[in-house]
Amino acid sequence: METNKAPEKFIVSIGPQHPALKEPGHFEFTVDGEIVKDASARLGFVHRGMEKGTESRNYVQDLYLMERVCGICSHVHAMAFALGAEKLAGVQAPPRAQAIRELVAELERIHSHMLWLGVAAHEGGFDTLFMFSWRDRETVMDLLEQVTGNRVNYSANILGGVKVDLDDVKKDALLKGMDFLEERTQHYLKVVTEDETFLGRTRKIGLMTKEQAELLGAVGPTARASGVEHDVRVDSPYAGYTEFPTRLITEPAGDLEARFVVRINELFESYRLVREIVEHIPAGDLAVRMPRRIPEGETVSRVEAPRGELFYFIRSNGTDQPERVKVRTPSLCNWASVLTLAVGHKLADMPMILAGIDPCFSCNDRMVTVNRGNEMQDWSWEDLRKYGIAYYK
Amino acid sequence: MTIGSMFGDVFKSLFKKPVTEKYPFAESVTPEHFRGKLEWDPEKCTGCQLCVKDCPSNAIEIITIDKVNKKFVMRYHMDRCTFCSQCVLNCRFNCINMSEDEWELASAKKEPFEVFYGREEDVTELMARAARPETGEGCAEEKAQ
Amino acid sequence: MNLTINPILALLIFPGGISLLIFGLVYEFGDRKLVARFQNRVGPRWFQPLADFIKLLAKEEIIPASVNPALFIALPIVALAAALTAALYVPMFGLQPAYSFSGDLVVTLYLLSLMTLCIGLAGANTNDRFSLVGATRALTQLFSYEAPFLLAMLGPAIALGTWDITAVNASASHNWWFLLTQPFGFLVALVGLMGKLELPPFDAPEAETEIVAGALTEYSGRGLGIFRMGRNIELVIGLTLIASFYMGGLTSPLDFLWKTLVLLLVTALLQSLFARLRIDQTVGMWWRVGTILVLVQLLVIILGRNLSPLIQPLIGG
Repeated sequence: METNKAPEKFIVSIGPQHPALKEPGHFEFTVDGEIVKDASARLGFVHRGMEKGTESRNYVQDLYLMERVCGICSHVHAMAFALGAEKLAGVQAPPRAQAIRELVAELERIHSHMLWLGVAAHEGGFDTLFMFSWRDRETVMDLLEQVTGNRVNYSANILGGVKVDLDDVKKDALLKGMDFLEERTQHYLKVVTEDETFLGRTRKIGLMTKEQAELLGAVGPTARASGVEHDVRVDSPYAGYTEFPTRLITEPAGDLEARFVVRINELFESYRLVREIVEHIPAGDLAVRMPRRIPEGETVSRVEAPRGELFYFIRSNGTDQPERVKVRTPSLCNWASVLTLAVGHKLADMPMILAGIDPCFSCNDRMVTVNRGNEMQDWSWEDLRKYGIAYYK
Repeated sequence: MTIGSMFGDVFKSLFKKPVTEKYPFAESVTPEHFRGKLEWDPEKCTGCQLCVKDCPSNAIEIITIDKVNKKFVMRYHMDRCTFCSQCVLNCRFNCINMSEDEWELASAKKEPFEVFYGREEDVTELMARAARPETGEGCAEEKAQ
Repeated sequence: MNLTINPILALLIFPGGISLLIFGLVYEFGDRKLVARFQNRVGPRWFQPLADFIKLLAKEEIIPASVNPALFIALPIVALAAALTAALYVPMFGLQPAYSFSGDLVVTLYLLSLMTLCIGLAGANTNDRFSLVGATRALTQLFSYEAPFLLAMLGPAIALGTWDITAVNASASHNWWFLLTQPFGFLVALVGLMGKLELPPFDAPEAETEIVAGALTEYSGRGLGIFRMGRNIELVIGLTLIASFYMGGLTSPLDFLWKTLVLLLVTALLQSLFARLRIDQTVGMWWRVGTILVLVQLLVIILGRNLSPLIQPLIGG
């Protein structure tokens, strides 16, 4: 038996291949019996070099590349990139395009939250809830297929607007779908807040106070479940959120149950928004003309992905290829909270705590250099290559 | 506090048909505007190569047989295509669009993934020029423009 | 039915041995199909468990470097042997068991627990963290449900005043169903069976999302196939025992079939309703709720037996 220091300490490592994780990541829990004493994480298994890849493709190609950073939140990545590029070029997408962007973003939020509901239930051993919530998720996937043409990677955005339009058939289907989903979500809310066995796995587990959430830098529904009142859609509205605003949803409790409740309430809010957009969508063009060569400049665009705040930094140098695109995804911020919260809980709660922040490993992996003190290091491409080769020796 | 709150769902499911789509034994219907395989109409193409320029994965090549008489052949790499429909948007003459029915594109060999679109005589002529590497021909034409 | 079969045939072919293996596969199919239908899915086809078993037998068996090889190979065989031996004393298919003697109830129940002990040992044998945690949980769960389950199975035996399974089976068909007169006992017995077989919600020892496969993580190929087969047979034997004790005895194959299938339906329903209980919640639940229920039940039975000679003259015989 491999022991660390004292004979009763014992390291259980989860990942990179593990049934609890849908994507690879490595976590080491130092366990004493069933209680976790220490946790550490290692990420980077799905690093694909996408930020580097943007530098050799033009803006239009990059839009589609950035869409594929994550499968579940693909639309918001493309939207953030498009918003950033439009800001640099000084154009604004027409109101109908903004509304359709918001519509697809909310549909994506619905599908992502339902996916998460099933996955978190599966981590807790509640396979029935998993099967039923994914069955109902098929409704929203079919709606997305009908509206945009594909179930994943919708490619609804283009630089300057959108390329899909809404007609009456789609509007009817959307309204019917929302009715069905709302009824089912009411049922799931009841299950999640009332089922005795499920509460035994979620109530008082992974408790994070508001101060802890702010200190650890948690974002998204994870932070909102601890009472932190940040939501990019409300704080700095973008796309259609100025005409069709959303409500901020928080829960004070801060445990796993609160995270379930926050996400399900966000589902209700999304249904309301989809209905409102379908009823009151403004008429107009779908896109404006965007120049090929984007003027020089730097810009920052923030959107609210289903997991939290997504942040894009784009620097252009006047050509039709960007100079630097930096993506900061929400899942990266939430890991610190997991590692801190894990201590003191039982090993059996680890998968649910990991799943509670809705981790998306493909979004995560990028190199983070931590500046300690005043050392500022400028990494060139050559430096990076040498470091990478030396690291893996 | 309820025990077994999913009882209603579970019990009713015993009497309902399973919701699983029995594909491939049952047909799977795709909606309108579904982005399937690319289709190209050689009659309207002018060889502007806008579709080639913006393709994120270099899946399209327009090979010029005869520029003056507007004879082009499109070489479509189905395995590289991301089905984003940017090429459809870029084309000003509506010669490219995405099929709604053809999306079952899996194959055990590599050959079906390279599709040549064009008029009969153009494609045969292209095949006859097989001595020269295809990509060099396309790039040279693009640079010449 | 009073069909006596040559003991060797009973051991190897029918009703033990080969036919028991096949029946185990049939019941595994029934269980998986029912759970799938409860979840609105299609479920496996009838030959899926057989295909799984054959595939596992055909795979390479990897023996980790740090185990005791003799123990590694012997444990699955011992587990399967224990399960098959237990079938000798139980009225399989509604027929008379091949052997019966006074006290074989206790022997059968211990043989069924031997399977869990083998799983615990198999997990402790290896160096793998997941197996060790799984083995600990399996043994912890054994300590928690075993006492209430045993007492619940003893309920009808005490009521009928015998320790012999065959005698209980025979007398149970002449009395009211114990399901109605000893409901607590029935509940504890059925849920205890789910705990013994590590079916959800008591599948903490083999929690797929936490510790991969629990104690059986290192097993592959033949060993895993044999362990799973042992589990299937335990399912059949457990359902037979509960049906024979609580549902009015098994008098014919048809009787056996419909009673055990009804129990399988109830078990599948219970499997799909709940989230997985953590191991400490399992232990807590059993040592509080389970034990109290079964003790109350036993008290009622004992009082009933002792008071009935006094009450009967009053009622009039």
